[in-house]
Amino acid sequence: MVAPPGKSYHSPTSIVSQLTNLPSILPVAMQLSNVTLFCFFASYVSAFALELTQFLRRSHVMRWAAVVFTAAGLVAQTIYLTVRSQQADLPPLLGSAHDWLLVSAWLLVVLYLSVQAWNRDLSLGVFCLPLVLILVGASRFVRNIPNPRLGQFYWWGMVHASFWVFGILGVLLALIFSIMYLVQHNRLKHKQAELPALHLLSLERLSRINWWLIVVSVPLLTLGMITGLWMAHQSGGGALPVSLANITFVADAVIWVTMALLFGWLLTAHHPAGRTVAIRTILACTFLLAVFLVMNVLAPDGIHGSSPRSKSVSEETAA
Amino acid sequence: MNVQVVYCNHQSANLSIRERLAFPNKDVLTRAYEELRSRFPQSEHVVVSTCNRVELYIAQEDPDDAPTHAQLAEFFADFHQVPIVEFFDDLLECQGPQAVRHLFEVASSLDSMVLGESQIVNQIKAAYEFSMETNANGPLTNTLFQRAIEVSKRVRTETKLSEGKVSIASVAVGEFGKSIFSKFDDKTVLILGAGEMALETLTYLKGEGVKRILVCNRSLDRAQKLAEEYDGQARSWEDLDACLSQADVIVSTTGASQPVITASKFREIRRKTGPRPTFILDLGAPRDFESGVGEIDDGVFLYDIDDLEATCERNRQRRTVEIAKARAIIDEETTRFMQDVYHKATGPIVKRLREHWHDISRQELEILYRKLPDLGDREREVIEKSIYRIVNKLLHPPLETLRDEARQGPPHGMIATLKRLFHLD
Repeated sequence: MVAPPGKSYHSPTSIVSQLTNLPSILPVAMQLSNVTLFCFFASYVSAFALELTQFLRRSHVMRWAAVVFTAAGLVAQTIYLTVRSQQADLPPLLGSAHDWLLVSAWLLVVLYLSVQAWNRDLSLGVFCLPLVLILVGASRFVRNIPNPRLGQFYWWGMVHASFWVFGILGVLLALIFSIMYLVQHNRLKHKQAELPALHLLSLERLSRINWWLIVVSVPLLTLGMITGLWMAHQSGGGALPVSLANITFVADAVIWVTMALLFGWLLTAHHPAGRTVAIRTILACTFLLAVFLVMNVLAPDGIHGSSPRSKSVSEETAA
Repeated sequence: MNVQVVYCNHQSANLSIRERLAFPNKDVLTRAYEELRSRFPQSEHVVVSTCNRVELYIAQEDPDDAPTHAQLAEFFADFHQVPIVEFFDDLLECQGPQAVRHLFEVASSLDSMVLGESQIVNQIKAAYEFSMETNANGPLTNTLFQRAIEVSKRVRTETKLSEGKVSIASVAVGEFGKSIFSKFDDKTVLILGAGEMALETLTYLKGEGVKRILVCNRSLDRAQKLAEEYDGQARSWEDLDACLSQADVIVSTTGASQPVITASKFREIRRKTGPRPTFILDLGAPRDFESGVGEIDDGVFLYDIDDLEATCERNRQRRTVEIAKARAIIDEETTRFMQDVYHKATGPIVKRLREHWHDISRQELEILYRKLPDLGDREREVIEKSIYRIVNKLLHPPLETLRDEARQGPPHGMIATLKRLFHLD
């Protein structure tokens, strides 16, 4: 990006470097950069443990403590993502798979806290926090070096990443609501009284929310696929062309096809039973999550970035 | 005088037993009273049969005429054709003050599954009125049931038991219905039966915003009456299948002796409608839906009265203070009632003693007037009043002692002593 004559754009990194020149702010900036993944992972683990204590003994203090720990984790995660974004001079969405996972977890936590503010009795934490922990935990093992091809596709990359992250967020929420549906359905079928620590929405509402989440997230994933294809096509003449035979691309395509099948069935099925919808959603979403995580953890390099180890290996080879 | 009750309720027996011992309609109840009269002719009887309990209250002037527990169990077994071994342990019995306290607790809804529900007192009134219609009751059960209704009123006024969720419908819809549906204003509610339970359920559901109500009953007139009251549509019993296929919520409260909806019939209906969520609340005893109906598909949620037990128990634990208050009132009223009963038992001896002593005083006065024929009316009146006062003052200590004795329990010993002392036999 070229700045107009007489003006200069201040990148976040340059602002940070200017700020770090101020001796009074220096300790604060240093403290912020000390926030690690472990800080917010530990906060979420504590919050989840506190949520679980509700099953042993119902306590408003513990409930509030869980919310406070989650909020503290969110603050730490926000700082972590901001510092990483400043260091890479890229928004988190354009970072690596590591950042994508953390952004997805961050959005999930924001949604969880918002829902808790709207309905304090709803037991969302026991379903939401484990998924947040999986995402944060998995981010530790995936590629954390930004994609080297981003320079030429900055805006397309933003659009592509947004579609994927929001699409996957929709899928994660569909997974949570489907699990909630099955738990509620099981309770009602077995004629059990509601546990005070496990207050859920009605089957009708859970089913409706689940339907909308699939219906919204599948088009987002589709758009993510289309923008990805477009970028791959455009990269053909560049220095770092993307092959469609890349394993990451194939895995993403499989995920998309699975979700598209679920989407098609959901729209065309005649009187689908709520429980069947929930089970199929859970299967599809778990498959998506599993493929996504396995691909990012196991693949040494991909089209969305590279791990520090693979990067150093490639640098050595180049040298 | 003796009062006793044999009963099985939601605490002692499960629904599968209660429904077999129930007296679901007036025809069955009339036959039961005839049978009771022939077996225990010296007793007064009142039967209270609801979805939560089957209770038989019996009272006699002479405690020796009281039937034994085994005889009463035999009546249930013979009348319902149920082997006695299947329910004997579930059939409980109380006598005297315990029986009175039990009725007061039942009428005050302390013994109900849904604490504070108002329906039970109406059911007790209806049971008492029907026993009057069939001449099964008598003076003792009259007094007992009238007092029970008064006690129920007092408990309701002086405690907060009737606040909150106080109907079976509210508990069932609150616990299960609202976990299935998020709103009711777009749902079709089908009511099977047109009794008081149906009326109460409709009142609650109407409050939840239900707009489309179908009332299906064997008697179309009763269905129309109920439907008009709640802006619903009355349907004949022949339209039952069509109604079942349209309903999202089904509340069944018929007084049928056998299930009216079999699993095979409902399976046929579900084949046409698909597995959409349907909330069925079977409040009948005996049950109106075969238990297999709940297993037909994932969308059918069938609940009977016993399925609400856990929720009701949770509500009960939250209101222990009010329960304690209500129990204190019931203890006080039971003591007072028993004193009245015992005091009433001394009535004939007191009357005879008074008559005996006043007869003696009249005889002595006649002798006196014959000896003193010149006495004027004024003098005679003064003498009669004096004698009357003397007799009353002499009667006062024994009668007061008798009254004191009656406060403690049945004064059989004191009555026998008075009879012997004053030759009243």
